[in-house]
Amino acid sequence: MDSRVITITSGKGGVGKTTSTANLGTALAMQGKKVAVVDSDIGLRNLDAVLGLENRIVYDIVDVVEGQCRLRQALIKDKRLPDLYLLPAAQTRDKNAINSVQMEQLCQQLRREFEFVLIDSPAGIEQGFRNAIVGADEIIIVVNPEMASVRDADRIIGLVEAAGKLEPRLIVNRLRPEMVRRRDMMDVTDVLEVLGVDLLGIVPEDELIIVATNKGEPVVYDKRSRSGRAFINAAHRIMGDEVPLDEVAEAPTLVERLRRLMGFGPALAERRVRS
Amino acid sequence: MGVFEFISGRKKQAPGQLAKERLKVVLVQDRIKLSPELLELIKADLLTAISRRLEVDEQNVQISMARENRWDRLQADMPIKRQKVSFEWDPPAHTTAANVLRGKVQVEVEREEQEQEPS
Repeated sequence: MDSRVITITSGKGGVGKTTSTANLGTALAMQGKKVAVVDSDIGLRNLDAVLGLENRIVYDIVDVVEGQCRLRQALIKDKRLPDLYLLPAAQTRDKNAINSVQMEQLCQQLRREFEFVLIDSPAGIEQGFRNAIVGADEIIIVVNPEMASVRDADRIIGLVEAAGKLEPRLIVNRLRPEMVRRRDMMDVTDVLEVLGVDLLGIVPEDELIIVATNKGEPVVYDKRSRSGRAFINAAHRIMGDEVPLDEVAEAPTLVERLRRLMGFGPALAERRVRS
Repeated sequence: MGVFEFISGRKKQAPGQLAKERLKVVLVQDRIKLSPELLELIKADLLTAISRRLEVDEQNVQISMARENRWDRLQADMPIKRQKVSFEWDPPAHTTAANVLRGKVQVEVEREEQEQEPS
């Protein structure tokens, strides 16, 4: 099986890593892919809650690594979908409970069972982050279009490159088109210009995400939500489909100004004419 | 540039734009530990090196660091003073015989100043 291990990271906390992991994983599983999402934020686990699976945790990632249980016992099947599994983090330990070698071995094990392994990285640049990227084939960086998040994302890009990984791709999350119009917020082209990496997707700020997390139902299930559509589009792009930026969901202010869309194929204007 | 110009300049710029400009500057500093002192040293080194070959307008030299496409670039803008330069070279094959005198090519050159010998 041609598996892909993808780590979702950001540097800065609170920008949407866990939300992105949950929604990308769910969206990929909705397309029939066999997906494992892994919460590597040991001590501050949240991926379980975002997915609504917090009551079903018996074993966690540390139990697996320490040999207390088999991997299969720790994996929680999401009953809403045919092939989505969660490997939860431990809550009563910290990020030094696992080292990089163990994490890499775990990724190898997961590779044998799943087409996609999405790893939710903790915030920061310490052991937790290093563990999260060590086994990754690809890295997605979640960034908010604001000063602090972009600065941290740049540092992460540097660390990822130094670790010898492929160039990461960007999800610009929590974009507020109205603020961009008022020029109070950077737009996506600004962020891309500063960071210089390719774009995977744009997710607008959406109250429905808070609702979704509170209910334990990832926002991609909600047909009304713009952010849900944006995550679905990003999942398609991960699968290699060419998906033009949905003006309503993703890029109400971008139009012709977006230049750097490598990996999206031909220029945006051209694609709009074709579709 | 006075303090007042600086402040009012910032007020005119939209926050979104301002963030981008600030980021471009701060990311260079974050990436390499570049101090203004280091930049001055680099400037002095560059001036010494280039001045050996060309005459540089030292008052108008600008050295800066900028970020373009994930590369941090050292940019040096050094105006060169106009000068007629003379130099010797091996006679090219197509030189007419009239220019060759005792095996050397003669070239008429006007010099404004004495060329400085490198020390």
